[in-house]
Amino acid sequence: MAVAKKFSVWICYLLVLLLLPQFFDTVLAISIFNQMAIAIVFALSYNMLLGQGGMLSFGHAVYYGLGGFLAVHALLLIEDEIVHFSIIWIPLVGGVFGLLAGIFIGSFSTRKAGTVFAMISLGIGELIAASSLIFVGFFGGEAGVSGDRTFGPPLFGVEFFQDIEIYYVAAAWVFIATVFMYLFTQTPAGRMANAVRDNPERAEFIGYSARYVRFISFCAAGFFAGIAGGLFALNYEFITEENLNAITSGRVLLMAYIGGLGYFIGPIIGAVVLTLMNSLLSNYTELWMLYLGIMFVLTVMFLPRGFAGFIMMHQVAWIQGKLKNLLVPYLKTGVPGLLFSAAAVAMIEMSHHEGEAFEYLGFTLNSHSPVAWIITAGIAGVSVYLIRRSIPQLQEAWEEANTINDADGDQP
Amino acid sequence: MLEVFIFATLNGLVTGLLLFMLASGLTLIFSMMGVLNFAHASFYMLGAYFAYSISLQFGFWTGLVFAPLIVGLLGAIVERYALRRVHQSGHVAELVFTFGLAFLIEEAVQFFWGPDTKNYQTPEILDFALFTLFGQEFSAYRGFMIFISVAIFLGLFYVLTRSRIGIIIQAAITHPNTVANLGHNVPLVFMGVFGVGTALAGLAGVIAGPVLTTFPGMAVVLGSIVFVIVVIGGLGSLAGAFIASLLIGLLQSYAIASDVGMPDLLALLGVEFERNHPLNDLWTLTLSQVAPILPFLLLVLVLIFRPTGLMGKRES
Amino acid sequence: MSILSLKNVWKKFGETEIIRGVSLDVERGEKHAIIGPNGAGKSTLFHLISGKHTVSSGEITFNNQAIHNLPPYEINRLGLARSFQVTNIFPRLNVFENVRCALLWSNNYRYSFWHLLGRQHKLNEEAMHVLEQIGLHDKAKFPAAELAYAQQRALELGIAIASGAEVIMLDEPVAGMSHSEAENAVSLIRKITEGKTLIMVEHDMNIVFDVADRISVLVYGEIIATDIPKQIRGNARVQEAYLGEVPADA
Repeated sequence: MAVAKKFSVWICYLLVLLLLPQFFDTVLAISIFNQMAIAIVFALSYNMLLGQGGMLSFGHAVYYGLGGFLAVHALLLIEDEIVHFSIIWIPLVGGVFGLLAGIFIGSFSTRKAGTVFAMISLGIGELIAASSLIFVGFFGGEAGVSGDRTFGPPLFGVEFFQDIEIYYVAAAWVFIATVFMYLFTQTPAGRMANAVRDNPERAEFIGYSARYVRFISFCAAGFFAGIAGGLFALNYEFITEENLNAITSGRVLLMAYIGGLGYFIGPIIGAVVLTLMNSLLSNYTELWMLYLGIMFVLTVMFLPRGFAGFIMMHQVAWIQGKLKNLLVPYLKTGVPGLLFSAAAVAMIEMSHHEGEAFEYLGFTLNSHSPVAWIITAGIAGVSVYLIRRSIPQLQEAWEEANTINDADGDQP
Repeated sequence: MLEVFIFATLNGLVTGLLLFMLASGLTLIFSMMGVLNFAHASFYMLGAYFAYSISLQFGFWTGLVFAPLIVGLLGAIVERYALRRVHQSGHVAELVFTFGLAFLIEEAVQFFWGPDTKNYQTPEILDFALFTLFGQEFSAYRGFMIFISVAIFLGLFYVLTRSRIGIIIQAAITHPNTVANLGHNVPLVFMGVFGVGTALAGLAGVIAGPVLTTFPGMAVVLGSIVFVIVVIGGLGSLAGAFIASLLIGLLQSYAIASDVGMPDLLALLGVEFERNHPLNDLWTLTLSQVAPILPFLLLVLVLIFRPTGLMGKRES
Repeated sequence: MSILSLKNVWKKFGETEIIRGVSLDVERGEKHAIIGPNGAGKSTLFHLISGKHTVSSGEITFNNQAIHNLPPYEINRLGLARSFQVTNIFPRLNVFENVRCALLWSNNYRYSFWHLLGRQHKLNEEAMHVLEQIGLHDKAKFPAAELAYAQQRALELGIAIASGAEVIMLDEPVAGMSHSEAENAVSLIRKITEGKTLIMVEHDMNIVFDVADRISVLVYGEIIATDIPKQIRGNARVQEAYLGEVPADA
């Protein structure tokens, strides 16, 4: 039954969110989960614009940041006892401010999609980021604004001193936000957003103003980005200009794109992967941003539909039960591929650690050792050779797995 | 007062011409291929870094000649092996790719050269004052920058309008299929234009590096402004880009040099606010504070009221 | 009483005059064909009526309401739908969604973000009904981009008629189809435009003479004749303009 299947996905999602801290309960893990939660909501909100609506924005961090700033100010108001409500509503405060900003900015920037929209978003983003350094009163200048979440009224005795307590609040918001963003795609506004993305001219000829459809998506995206900003404020208890600026806008674009724009689950994947790279990889190497850049460029070039797209590409093969036929070819190309990456990274790291020894996958490498260079270059070279040899087989297997056979097993 | 004005104008001119060197390459690339190359300023940065490294061994002038060539070659390679591939996935993918490329180049530069600012020196023979006015010097190097910029533009103008390849390029900009049918190798032309465009950006980096400082963030600083210029001038219009470059260069220069601000405006209106007024930041705002964001303000205004820009022909 | 009326409509692009003083009255329930040599301006005329372009001068009224300065979506909401010469569907939506989107406004959903489409049974049934009419109900879940050409044209048609508009404008509906495909398309068009007003641009004279109640001939932006098919056949100016495209046996 399709209905039960759909619900089961959501139940799984909820269970994963609730049970994750049971399996990984270190302070680091909880902190990473909180970061992921924020990133997921932010990336999903971005996809409302780009994946669903076809609007490439370089300034989405504005709504995230503005939401975050109001959220921190709300925390301060709670602390000063000017207002009195539980901090679990803080993300909503962020959302409202994101929505208001979206309404205001969307009113003039949604007339066109495409390059004009992208450029306006860039301009607005820079304007607001720059203004935030000028208007020190609200934005706190370079140091930003900080607050304290423990001054709010306790919720069932919880005062939110610990990250794990915030985790469950964040998890609840992630779940709710995901559900609502998903439901939006199933409404007339959401569907018309897709239609306008595909063919704005035709959408007008079935009675819809393309501009207004875009405007609605824009406001909704602003709202949810604001919620993500509020979650950030709750988690870190401070916010700075950095959360508004082009770098943060770029980061969410990266997340959504790498995860896969055309699928609802894509940005979730992207958010998780990027958060992991950000927090874990950065502990092992200073060059993780370089690797991220390489990965991003390679993804755009070879996997334009992102990780989600890559997984979905196997749909036909899976339906036909031919997935296992791909296993051996994938191994034949994949293993040398991994070896190549490992060797290349080793060589890059060696150049970076000029003259000093360092640990790499259990080996000690040193750029002064000719043996290290010979081995890594050798592995890289052999891997490339193996890859080139196995690619035709992979292509063949791929085509075979994707041909649709009729009932007799014959091809049409 | 007059000296401030003259020097602000001269500095604005230097900046404006430099910006045009970047904007012209970007405009050519956009007109030809419909791609707004986010990584354009990154090639500018590469030009500065390559020239710096070359100048350490062989001197500034060798760097001036070879750095743009290397950058142009890199640009052509990027076009041929990467951009062309991404082109199939659509405009959004292209924009995102060039954005990713910009990010990658910034990280790569830090990897190869380190994150610190490089001591890229102006050549010694240009290390004198061209003239002194009201006690302030105008360095010969800046004069050199103006000279080179103007020389390049005249060359570009001549090539585009008088030479055979220029005519082909102009035709390929609007009618690539027709040009291909006439037997010209349009992909080669594309690769060439991208290469030349990036080489121009590299050249701008070579001459700007010593003056505007050579550091990994230099692409970001100029990158957005160049986009603003290209959009304000009108996507696809070289003349528009020229006017917009000078406009922005001069505007910023004047804004920074003046000490006009909100207090003056308020005094004119006879209004005064307390120091601890919540909007105090707004009432104490000076023009020089606002200078860095003026281009973006202009961008948003132009895009709202005249999306085709000052002299735009093509909207993408 | 004419449902659609053009009064002295001119359209210039820069200095080039494309439509030069066109006046036309289409009666309610009429099947009206517009023919003419290539470059006569037929598509431009359609664009002017449907709101894609604004007129340089002149008036266009629909049900006595001036529409020549309205944006396309407002014209559509008044009851005028069109299809396109070059297939203009929503490629990444599936066939069912394509049609369902076309039904949204006329079913008063507007810009709602609180109705879940899966639960709108009446809407979904209506969409399936349209799919059955155009013969695509078994392809409902296919992405529109993956349909064969003739099927995409059928979908194009479906999107145009779905909203129940009074006036349907079809721009070369059978272009690029094989003979049998075109035959199917024409009987489909006949079936779904019963009781409605149809304005059709078409090159295939057999179809035109078969379907149309009246024909207007557009040459270089001007209408040189508007009459019943029999009279158009015998019209000397038309024959001159077409030279050989009008069947000799009038």
